[in-house]
Amino acid sequence: MKFRLSIGAMALLVAGVPLANPPLGLPPVPVPADNPQTPEKIALGERIFHDKRLSATGEVGCVSCHDPAMAFTDSPKRVSVGVNGLTGTRNAPTVVNAAYMKSQFWDGREPSLETQSHQPFVNPVEGGLENHAPLLAVVRSDPDYAAAFQRVYGKAGEQITMTEIGQAIASFERTLIAGNSPFDRYHYGGDPRALNDQERRGFDLYLNKARCVSCHVIEQDQALFTDNAFHNVGVGINQIQDEIPPLASAFLEAKRRGADVDKTVLTDPKASELGRFAVTDDISTVGAFKTPTLRNVARTAPYMHDGSLDTLREVVIHYNLGGKSQESDRVNPYLSGGIRPLDLSEPEIDDLVAFLEALTSPEFAATTATTTSPTGDEDHEPSTVTAQLPEAGERDRSDRPAAAEPGAVELRQPESGLHFRLPLGFPHPTHQGD
Amino acid sequence: MAETNLLSPKPDFVLYGGDIAQLGLKEEIDHGLELLSPLRYKTYHALGEHDYYLDLGEYWERRIGPQYYSFDHKGVHFVVLNSILTHDDWINKWPTPMDRMMTMAGLDNPEGSPFMVGDKQREWLRRDLAKVAKTTPLVVLSHSPLQKIFRNWNFWTEDAEQVQALLAPFERVSVLYGHVHQIQYNQIGNISFNSAMATAWPWPYPETYAQAPSHLPVLTVPMNRADPFQERDATGWQFVDIHSGRVALNYSLNDNGNRVVAYNAATGQPEDQGFQPADARIPPQTHY
Amino acid sequence: MRTKNMIVAVLCATLVPVVGQTLADEFSQADLERWSQQYMEVANQGRQLWVSADLGTNGVACAQCHPNAANTHPETYPKFQKQLGKVANLWEMVNWCIRNPLEGQPLAADDPRMTAILSYVTYERRGVALDPGKH
Repeated sequence: MKFRLSIGAMALLVAGVPLANPPLGLPPVPVPADNPQTPEKIALGERIFHDKRLSATGEVGCVSCHDPAMAFTDSPKRVSVGVNGLTGTRNAPTVVNAAYMKSQFWDGREPSLETQSHQPFVNPVEGGLENHAPLLAVVRSDPDYAAAFQRVYGKAGEQITMTEIGQAIASFERTLIAGNSPFDRYHYGGDPRALNDQERRGFDLYLNKARCVSCHVIEQDQALFTDNAFHNVGVGINQIQDEIPPLASAFLEAKRRGADVDKTVLTDPKASELGRFAVTDDISTVGAFKTPTLRNVARTAPYMHDGSLDTLREVVIHYNLGGKSQESDRVNPYLSGGIRPLDLSEPEIDDLVAFLEALTSPEFAATTATTTSPTGDEDHEPSTVTAQLPEAGERDRSDRPAAAEPGAVELRQPESGLHFRLPLGFPHPTHQGD
Repeated sequence: MAETNLLSPKPDFVLYGGDIAQLGLKEEIDHGLELLSPLRYKTYHALGEHDYYLDLGEYWERRIGPQYYSFDHKGVHFVVLNSILTHDDWINKWPTPMDRMMTMAGLDNPEGSPFMVGDKQREWLRRDLAKVAKTTPLVVLSHSPLQKIFRNWNFWTEDAEQVQALLAPFERVSVLYGHVHQIQYNQIGNISFNSAMATAWPWPYPETYAQAPSHLPVLTVPMNRADPFQERDATGWQFVDIHSGRVALNYSLNDNGNRVVAYNAATGQPEDQGFQPADARIPPQTHY
Repeated sequence: MRTKNMIVAVLCATLVPVVGQTLADEFSQADLERWSQQYMEVANQGRQLWVSADLGTNGVACAQCHPNAANTHPETYPKFQKQLGKVANLWEMVNWCIRNPLEGQPLAADDPRMTAILSYVTYERRGVALDPGKH
């Protein structure tokens, strides 16, 4: 298995400079000047990403909540589960394409991939470590790690710090890039057949009546499906809106006394609903969360920052109701300005969901079967597929190579992507135990 | 309302800069007051042209209070003026009150008429200020700017110079105004001018209209919004700190960095605390 | 190449009078004034639409945010519009505004009302240099 993975790494090199040719629909991956991509660093980051020893119980790693088999989320979990089965307050966002985000976490409390990974190790409901010392002890003493750090950074022992660890993880995450969805092939690739009639109707709704594009941005030659901004869309906070004034002042007071934002928002469900406000103290951001990408969204249920909506249909209905999940709910008074009822009909909701399901990259097209076939649309192809038989439901519009990549079946990853943007493969979560 | 209720420290009171209605209708004024009702602070209102030109302020007065007045708070003398009056012959020339209202409600309607404070109110102001020591900080709230920026859209008060002359003897004078839906600030003699944002919709800066000259104060660093398309752009509220006897406005801006415009005692003028130096401004636009 | 074109031109110039017709691009001052007046009529129709609530369903008019059509920047189109997710024409942006702030139904590109609106908007920016793509 390791052998095949290293072939993957070589394929990356053979293909040329990493990231030089982003997949259809995506721009080049931004790489900070002080953390250039190298194959060795990427491999080191991947290893750390999968290493569950770096937690209080030895059972939790980055990969626990960002599982390659689940499009790098922990779908179908509502909120993430850390050490000792403890749960946080937020739904794990995908790592795929996180490299394009201008801030990390749902509330953007970390500006970069390099620093983001520091926090989960020491969050009490995630990695559960008291501090980074035990983690550093492992990577400094493990011979494989020591060799890798020496190779990548020329550093050993106490020279290895969270900075190097964060950089390596970030470098690995910058290889988790996926575009080239049916939408991309339709919109940017010039293939009019890449979307069926229903998906095309959904795209029109996305741009116009449903106004999704206002925040889930599409541009002339690329689509990140996010504005990298923070909006209160009426999730979570609706239910506790009357408690916000005391909550907000108590939070500010606690923060002034030195409370850790990362720990507070992940362990206190009500404080979590303050959203971006917890980071900025800016009243106009109460209940606001980062616009997530929509790429591969059909594979990352449930939805929203708290995982409170189980299906894409429920999400569309939430927006259709003007920022509330049930007709009987009351929208919170801090709701972002652009959120208002959309007046979508039931068939239009189906169309929009169909479009969202066409944002899946080939690497993830066969992970799980979540699509329910809508009624009344003749040209819709059933897309129910299984992980074991990736070709079974593959749409003919896919430009995926006809033959499966060597190793794909053994890895039990339906679309290894070795030829593609995920050159290190989607290694099976157990590979690092061997 | 909900956001301002969260402010910390709590403001002593709220100033509302006018135009609670669109066409001066009773139901609009009632609705506006209902929307304001969650506010947990005493609120002082100024009268805007949208409140006035249907019934000449009658219902507004009944629901809210006098059209101009003054009060003292913690050593500061506050004056609220009705600055949107105009000539009697213009007021009386319309076949119906709604014709008059509709005309004045169109910002760019060439049939409109310039705003003014008027002789009667200026005389009241003169007598009101006569009781106030010249060292007392003075804050004046009006709907239109008590300065002349762009006449076509009534970013303008016809008798601005005469009002300014009454304010000039005071050491510290701050004029706050609404109407313009954008950040403006200026200094004329001892008088600082600062605008408030709208609760309605954005307005362009006058120089984006190519066919008439405008006079945006050179001191003003315009909002970074040459081509706004945010529906909430230029809307919101400001937290005003009057601790020094001069105003400092903390602008909470939608999808734009927040800004602070405060009086700088060293230069004797209001300045943006981030963008005032020419090399600190943001060219070109960083959003669309 | 140049010589050839010249020959053709000379031939045309000599042929036309022979068949007794006026030149195709000849026009009088009266024509200019009439056409200009026709344009202004359409621009004025656009102004009426601009200040009316007729394009929408919620009482909002274009002029509320765009007095004198300010900040419509017709000289900058086509350009990328975030709301539309692409490089767009001005008429598409007009339709975005009709759909969203005005909550109305969009107009066809060649709808006479769209022509009127674009005539008015462009008139208010007359004399400004083209600057396509600018924000």
